Amino acid sequence: MLRRLRYWRESARRSEALREEIELHLAEKAAELEADGMTAERARAEACRRFGNVGLKREESREIWMTRFWSELGQDVRYGCRAMAANKAFSALAVLSLALGIGANTTIYSFMESILLRSLPVADPESLVVLNWHSRPPRNAGKEWVHVMHGVQGMAWPGGKGSMVSGMFPYGAFEALGRDNPVFSTLFGYFNGLHHNLAVRGQAISANTEYVSGGYFRGLAVSPAAGRLIDSEDDRPGAAPVAVISLATSQNRFGGPSNAIGQPVLVDNIPFTVIGVAPPEFFGVDPAAAPDLYLPLHTNLLVDGARAARMYPDGNFYWIEIMGRLRPGVSMAQAQAALAPRFHQWVAATATTGGERANLPALILNPGAAGLGSLRRQYSKPLYALLTMVALILAIACANIANLLLARAAARRREMAVRLSLGAGRLRVVRQLLTESVMLASLGGAFGVLFAIWGVRSLTFLFSNGQQNFTLRAELNWNVLGVTAALSVLCGLLFGLAPAIQSTRPDVMPALQNGRGGGPRRRAQHILVIAQIAFSFLILVAAGLFARTLDKLHSVQLGYARENILLFSLNARQAGHRDPEIVNFYADLRQRFESIPGVISATLSQSSIINAGFAGQAIRGPMKIGPVTIENARALAAGPRFLTTMRIPILAGREIDGRDQPGSRPVAVISERLARTYFDNGNPVGRRITLPDEKRDLEIVGVSANLRYGGLKNEEESAMTVFVAVSQFPPDRVTYALRTAGDPLRFVPSVHEIVREADSRIPVTNVVTQAAEIDRTISRELTFAKLCTGFAVLALLMACVGLYGTMSYNVARQTGEIGIRMALGAQRGAVVWMVLRRVLLLAAVGLAISLPAALIASRLVKSFLFETRPNDPGTLALAGAVLLGAAILAGYAPARRASRIDPLAALRQE
Amino acid sequence: MGRKAQKNDSLPGSLDMLILRTLSRSDLHGYGIVQFIQQSSGNELLVEEGSLYPALQRLELNGWIDGVWGVTSNNRRARIYRITAAGRKQLAAETRKYARLTLAIARVMGAQ
Repeated sequence: MLRRLRYWRESARRSEALREEIELHLAEKAAELEADGMTAERARAEACRRFGNVGLKREESREIWMTRFWSELGQDVRYGCRAMAANKAFSALAVLSLALGIGANTTIYSFMESILLRSLPVADPESLVVLNWHSRPPRNAGKEWVHVMHGVQGMAWPGGKGSMVSGMFPYGAFEALGRDNPVFSTLFGYFNGLHHNLAVRGQAISANTEYVSGGYFRGLAVSPAAGRLIDSEDDRPGAAPVAVISLATSQNRFGGPSNAIGQPVLVDNIPFTVIGVAPPEFFGVDPAAAPDLYLPLHTNLLVDGARAARMYPDGNFYWIEIMGRLRPGVSMAQAQAALAPRFHQWVAATATTGGERANLPALILNPGAAGLGSLRRQYSKPLYALLTMVALILAIACANIANLLLARAAARRREMAVRLSLGAGRLRVVRQLLTESVMLASLGGAFGVLFAIWGVRSLTFLFSNGQQNFTLRAELNWNVLGVTAALSVLCGLLFGLAPAIQSTRPDVMPALQNGRGGGPRRRAQHILVIAQIAFSFLILVAAGLFARTLDKLHSVQLGYARENILLFSLNARQAGHRDPEIVNFYADLRQRFESIPGVISATLSQSSIINAGFAGQAIRGPMKIGPVTIENARALAAGPRFLTTMRIPILAGREIDGRDQPGSRPVAVISERLARTYFDNGNPVGRRITLPDEKRDLEIVGVSANLRYGGLKNEEESAMTVFVAVSQFPPDRVTYALRTAGDPLRFVPSVHEIVREADSRIPVTNVVTQAAEIDRTISRELTFAKLCTGFAVLALLMACVGLYGTMSYNVARQTGEIGIRMALGAQRGAVVWMVLRRVLLLAAVGLAISLPAALIASRLVKSFLFETRPNDPGTLALAGAVLLGAAILAGYAPARRASRIDPLAALRQE
Repeated sequence: MGRKAQKNDSLPGSLDMLILRTLSRSDLHGYGIVQFIQQSSGNELLVEEGSLYPALQRLELNGWIDGVWGVTSNNRRARIYRITAAGRKQLAAETRKYARLTLAIARVMGAQ
């Protein structure tokens, strides 16, 4: 083999040598003949004549060396093309089903690649590490908070064995870890500043802001698209306030990166100077959020004021995230060993009680190459579930084609027998058949990529579900395409191998004699059909469970209106409005919105009801009724006509209205459940709620019906609500709600106009209809239900095609037998039943195998379900019924054909 | 892939065996081989000249002979073939087979 390879490399030289050799031969022959007395010319001609066909002989000689592999491959491909063209319907069906299967796999894989596998677009991402800590959960058995972390701004998530993991640290820890660091060349911190008002030349946008320490850009080794990036000099109290903006922002606001450098901007009304533009591919360290604006860490003292000033010295407030770049040659384990004791020592000093000391956070390092893990945590499980599903679909497609090939192998059995008996090597024939199936698969793969382009686009749309600045960007890069190509070839080999081996079985004689296939192929076909049915059942069950979940979610009683409400948010404080003027500003705007023709009523609140769970409480500290503390109630600051606009029934008293002014008596409206729980069916109107921390009393002026707070999946207890007046507890940012006649989005231009008139520095953000916002909270369930339904239809279709193909083939094979039966008096119904019985038997076996698998597998998707048990009997029964129904449909056509067989014609054929 | 080592069919008078035998005496180029076989068989065996080169290629591919560029007796550049150790082994095997076959044929013919 090696020699052949070498030869192949040298074939050109070889060929030349051969030519020279033959030339010499002819010359010597001619010379000899000439010596015998011939003329030179005749001698030459005679030499050639005796040699024979020079070109052919040369060709033959070369053929011996020329790797026969390639020439045979060429033959096979040509033959394969002819075979595919000869069987257009079969080829089209096979290519289509493969294209769907491979396309679905490519789509899901490209999402996995972008979320789970891709590295940050920075130099040497492998040497980046993320600092996290873990400890036991902060609440002890008595639900008391016992933890050195007294407050946190950011995320914590569950780790293994019931622990809690977080990437947030106090500033003191960041300083302590960064000092004289032996293992990191750079240690840098940052935190998500959420949205700030970025005003450029009087026009404001809401900018996603990242506060970064001086080492951030140096540590990530990012170079600017223009200007310079933030460094240590910029990040200290009192430094000139500078900002780095994203390339997109520079293009939208300044018309290009170079125009932006040195320009003044206002961030929440504080003047900053743009010093640089981040490179286009850079999206920060969290793939889930692409910042528009990067500010030096310490400028939050200017922007966030006193609140920020309190955060720096507080060793028990966790708010800064830390990443580091390892020094060359230092492993992550070494770094962890070096830093963990240091962190332990620091954090031990912040513990104030024995209980806190007993549950100190311990430092852990995680690879930072792919950035922060928020997207991975959010999407990895759903993606694995989806990948399993599309893998099943591809398996069904492969089984399908294998089945069709088996049936076709029967038709080609004579051909194979002839070829084998004429002396073709079995291996050679198998190879030729495999070439055919790999060609089919490659074609399927090519069309699959087209499907995937469409799939990635629509899945991005489904995932984003209307979210602004959705950052998940899946793409078909070389990595993905390579995997797709490999998958296609693998599929081709997989579905081609069994039929190829089957059809070249060496028992050629019986085939030559009568051309009818034997038993093993039929068994193989049945196994394939059963596998298809089993796989389809799994997917059907999944689709059923998700559809049921969605149904449950849609039937949840919200307690407030869903349709015809427009929501949008404003933050006047970031544009420079201050107390007490801000209250009037918001109130005035509400009246202007209400006067838009077509707007039935307008209101405002600290946040939308759906988001209320994330927006925080309107008031600080506990709420008490007399000596009793109210448990599990949420306080929401709402403006006039809130209950009217949201269609929440008022059961007693009144709602919050224009009478409730900053100076007047603070009021509250409570929900029915709260009233029943704490006032024992007595009338609460006129009673008081005390706020010890605020040193104020609220007078209860009304009782509302219950409403479900913060999303559809929340517990019932969220129905306990205390509405307070937005004028008396003014938040920074408010959300307006307009109840409209007709499509709410029609009023968006008027809203923009009114806000611009009032103050052009304030951007209108989060414009969305209430219905869309509610759906957004169940976007994952919606996406799953839609995708799974699509997948289930696809799987069912393919399984039916497989079943239909098998039964048709069986009927064709049994023509003689059926003919005899009918000649002997079998009724048509009996023949139909004979075929259908086999269909049902196959389906039943498939179901029986699949049922336990479905019971186990559905438990894996339990976390995606809502009020639906994973082994929901209704869903299982429905899936089974659908499958059986589809099987009967697929089997009926061949059964009918069987019953139409003319006994005479059938017998004559025999 | 799908290809057997190229074996001689070992029929009596087969070209491969004759070439190997010729080369086991002395290294020769293609035309020299043809001439030698013709002369040493007393012009009884005429080598089909066109078949020689495919045969040479086959033998070389199997590693039984080796071709190197050299110079012929009348000073022309030519590929001179040389038998290898494997080639000698193959020659021995073929010779044995040939002897058995001729013996068998002779027996049959003698029995008549």
